[in-house]
Amino acid sequence: MRPLYLLREAMTNLRVNRGNVLIGIVTTAFTLVCFGVFVLLYLNLKNLTGTLQGDIEVVVYLDPGASEQVMSLVQKRLRTEPAAVALTFVSKEQALREFAEQFPEESLLLEGMDGNPLPASVVISLSPRFLDTESLGAFAERVKQLPGVTHVAYSQDWIDTLTLVVSYFELGAVVIGTILAVSTVTIIANTIRLSLYTRKEEIEILRLIGATGAFIAIPYVIEGTILGAVGGGLSLAVLKGIVEFFRLELSASGWFMGVEHMLPVFPKQVSFLLVMTGMLLGCGSSVLSVFGLMKVRN
Amino acid sequence: MIQLFHVSKFYDRCAALDDVSFRIDKGECVILTGPSGAGKTTLLKVIFGAEIPDTGQILVQNRNVARLRGRAIPYLRRTMGIVLQNFQLLPKKTVYENVVLPLVIQGVKRREARKRVVDVLTAVGMDHKQTIRTGVLSAGEQQRICIARAIVNSPILLLADEPTGNLDAALTVEIVELLKRIHAQGTTILLATHNQRVVEQMSGRVIHLQAGHVVIDEGATS
Repeated sequence: MRPLYLLREAMTNLRVNRGNVLIGIVTTAFTLVCFGVFVLLYLNLKNLTGTLQGDIEVVVYLDPGASEQVMSLVQKRLRTEPAAVALTFVSKEQALREFAEQFPEESLLLEGMDGNPLPASVVISLSPRFLDTESLGAFAERVKQLPGVTHVAYSQDWIDTLTLVVSYFELGAVVIGTILAVSTVTIIANTIRLSLYTRKEEIEILRLIGATGAFIAIPYVIEGTILGAVGGGLSLAVLKGIVEFFRLELSASGWFMGVEHMLPVFPKQVSFLLVMTGMLLGCGSSVLSVFGLMKVRN
Repeated sequence: MIQLFHVSKFYDRCAALDDVSFRIDKGECVILTGPSGAGKTTLLKVIFGAEIPDTGQILVQNRNVARLRGRAIPYLRRTMGIVLQNFQLLPKKTVYENVVLPLVIQGVKRREARKRVVDVLTAVGMDHKQTIRTGVLSAGEQQRICIARAIVNSPILLLADEPTGNLDAALTVEIVELLKRIHAQGTTILLATHNQRVVEQMSGRVIHLQAGHVVIDEGATS
């Protein structure tokens, strides 16, 4: 009888204060949408960085005058490197063919030259464990020292920049998330306080007939939790709409042709996180506002 | 049942109760009289734990109320019924919902609670208005509901602060008769009133307060 009574009281509170409750729900939803946008941007950038990092290859250019034996030794040495997952040898002839295929208009430039100016190379796919800047740098440095190697190329710089941006986003998400959480807690706590104020007399009566602080407070905590959960659900719907809109816009633009996996992701964990955050914020703020009820003696 | 030892309570250095001592035994009917501001309400408040005395000790059923922790107060109040002048009912709830509330708080089972509420509403003559919201009832009816709520959990002590203060002479008689019936069933009553007719009708021990002092204690047992 008691839990049912408390739940019924919470529902009555929500019905009676529906104006304030609506404001609380919309504010919670708005806050969580802002927070969710940040989380999604962060997750998508991190996902993108991970995908791009996975595609990093190191190209080891060999001396054009290197003998077959030297080239074979370089490959043999590279195979012993724990960072190297796969090696692909590209001969001078193959390099020329590929250049002609990739840049047909520029291939005329090579026709006027004596022989094939392009060097042979070894393309190395790296183990994910060695994709960080330091490991990659150390690996390139070691390879450069090998006899017959003239140059080692890898495009890490802009991925480093992207990683830096992601870390800024991470920091931004924490800072903005904290600010938004505090403002949500304040708004929900005020909604509950208003609800408490409108039912001040009722609370006095309950105290008079022997209700404990918890008995009086629980309906308000349930009210705040429901308010937060509904706000979280609403923010989820809005965010899904925003993400779907961007997905359609990006697909239509054709910019990401063939790399659809880079388009925005909306993990289930984010949905869960938003609703749970809403519930926790609602519950926490109502606990804050009813805390006084637990100790006042009147 | 109730023992007060040199109880004093001050508001801004002004004494609401000044060195008050008396004892009320089980089954007694005590009428607390005195003019407005004499300290009647403060005395009841220190007994049900709404105020902490500045000095002195108060024993209610062998529990020292003056030293009770805040969270123990609700459990003290569950052993007593409290009736106030301004009714203190929830106007948007029905008669039944108001009266059943102390039983809900104490976790009494629904079937048992229903039986007790019906019994008590029959006793105060309000069983036919169970589904009516208390906000639309007359003052006399509201006070009878208030008394029904105070006695629904069969308290051994009933505290009433000016229960007839908002009622006319006819309704006052009605409420006094109801209180006398409750007392006849063995409930200890401590009734605060400044209405001399109520004092005469109740026919119990009279404690007269003036400026926070006990000036008359008729028929004290000790």
